[in-house]
Amino acid sequence: MIITAILTMLVIWCLFYGAVPGVALVCLCLVMGGFLAVVGRHKHEGFLVIDIIAQRSQLNKINSPLKFWTVLILLFLCIASRSVVVGLVLMAVMLFLTVAVGGLELHDYLSLLSLPVSFVLISALALLVDYGSSPFGVINLPVSQGYLVVSQAAQLRTALVLSKALGALSCLYLLSLSTPMPEIISVLRKAHVPDIVIELMYLIYRYTFVLFEMYRSMKDAAKSRLGFVNFSTSVKTTGKIYTNLLARSYQKSMNNFDAMESRCYIGEIRFLENKKELSRLHAIVAASLVVIISGLTITLH
Amino acid sequence: MEEILRFEGINFSYEEDRVALKNISVSLYKAQKVAVLGNNGAGKSTFFLCCNGVVKPQKGRMFLRDKEIGATRKESVYLRQTVGIVFQDPDSQIIAGTVEAEISFGPMNLKLPEAVVRSQVEDAIEKMRLESMRTRAPHYLSGGEKKRVSIADVLAMNPQLLLFDEPGASLDPENTLLLERNLEMLSEKGLGLVIATHDVDFAWRWADRVLVFHAGELVADADPEAVFSDEELLRRCGLVQPTLFQVGKLYNINPLPRAISDLKGR
Repeated sequence: MIITAILTMLVIWCLFYGAVPGVALVCLCLVMGGFLAVVGRHKHEGFLVIDIIAQRSQLNKINSPLKFWTVLILLFLCIASRSVVVGLVLMAVMLFLTVAVGGLELHDYLSLLSLPVSFVLISALALLVDYGSSPFGVINLPVSQGYLVVSQAAQLRTALVLSKALGALSCLYLLSLSTPMPEIISVLRKAHVPDIVIELMYLIYRYTFVLFEMYRSMKDAAKSRLGFVNFSTSVKTTGKIYTNLLARSYQKSMNNFDAMESRCYIGEIRFLENKKELSRLHAIVAASLVVIISGLTITLH
Repeated sequence: MEEILRFEGINFSYEEDRVALKNISVSLYKAQKVAVLGNNGAGKSTFFLCCNGVVKPQKGRMFLRDKEIGATRKESVYLRQTVGIVFQDPDSQIIAGTVEAEISFGPMNLKLPEAVVRSQVEDAIEKMRLESMRTRAPHYLSGGEKKRVSIADVLAMNPQLLLFDEPGASLDPENTLLLERNLEMLSEKGLGLVIATHDVDFAWRWADRVLVFHAGELVADADPEAVFSDEELLRRCGLVQPTLFQVGKLYNINPLPRAISDLKGR
């Protein structure tokens, strides 16, 4: 989380330098960075609990296809927009829905977001900074015989890309933190996504957890025998663990196929699905959100 | 006793030099409790896969309710519906994202109407007491809970004969006790139960009949007392006598105690 906070401060500094007065900019950087460092709480293996969060979310009661299609439309609007406002509004709305309505703790939300946001911020830095022979930007840092330059055009371009990326991420997080994965897969099946893709999704989803558990136990066993005592041993141990994991996963896949065959598997995976009623209120709220964001996308084009 | 499955001279090998089952002839009956013993690699798991039709014997004949089973899809489905296997590792068996969906996998493959699938799933959930975890993802369940889900998986297909491959492996004492209660309940409902195990004490107190496999051969098929009295057989197959059996022999208790409660008052 500290890395995300530092990256955030750096990106805000580069993004608003020249547009916001110096003192205000320092305050903004410190407030944002400090907020992320203090409120955000980094958790290892956070992805393993996504399903539990989704199950517990108050938004889990909402009809899954309604959620899925609404999020998908909002995602497209966010990507199609030519204004930073749309992405920022979506970020705020999704944060409100996931945390205030869904009931997820703010620090958990930030912790889950921290990893993809860090990648987005690193990409933003790459977009912001150019290398030139003359100091043509708002920030010019002499390096070797040239300059690291942040130009106004790069600031505008990055702000738009950043707002789109963060808006889209927030949309996807609303969906994944309020809808268990099997329900999302079920919606995709109804949307006529090919069966082979659906079945692979089911198996990949399930076996991510099984293989991770296997990996964790192998790693603990290696640790208990000083397998990670220094760098070179760690590299060798990691290689051996991955080799073993590959062999075990192959064995597991064969056992799994036998188990499926023993229950009359004939080439297609089907499960019983429970339908969640579509409430009129939810449909109205979703439609209103889509109309508002569409309006913003069109008017701010 | 009503016969469900019969093997006549079954042979199976994974590779030419690796014979897994040699000339197996055996019958399995409804409402019978059978323990299958044998050291690792003796052929117990292959025998189970053969019983369910996942592995096709290369030689010999199989009869399901006195009707010979061939290799057609219809016959395979009938066999797999009648004879269910609960695998040793639930993680090799469970594939769905929720407990309820997982249990519905078998009945859905049988192409039953949705209402029937729901009723069979409900029935299996109730039998295995999984009501509170029906919407939970299997990867968040404990080992004992996963084992109950894997049993419910097979129960939902309404089998007549249930095969368990080392069901007590990696279970804590509390869950082992719970498993034994569930086995008792299933037996009372008239299901034939066949359990592969290394636990001779369990086989002694639970089984009506014991099958012993050694190097792919069925070397004994008798009641528990006859099997555990044959010291030469036990030595050859790497087995030992159950504790209560030894206690009974040591103190000349007749009949031999099957459970601790049988020693009451002595």
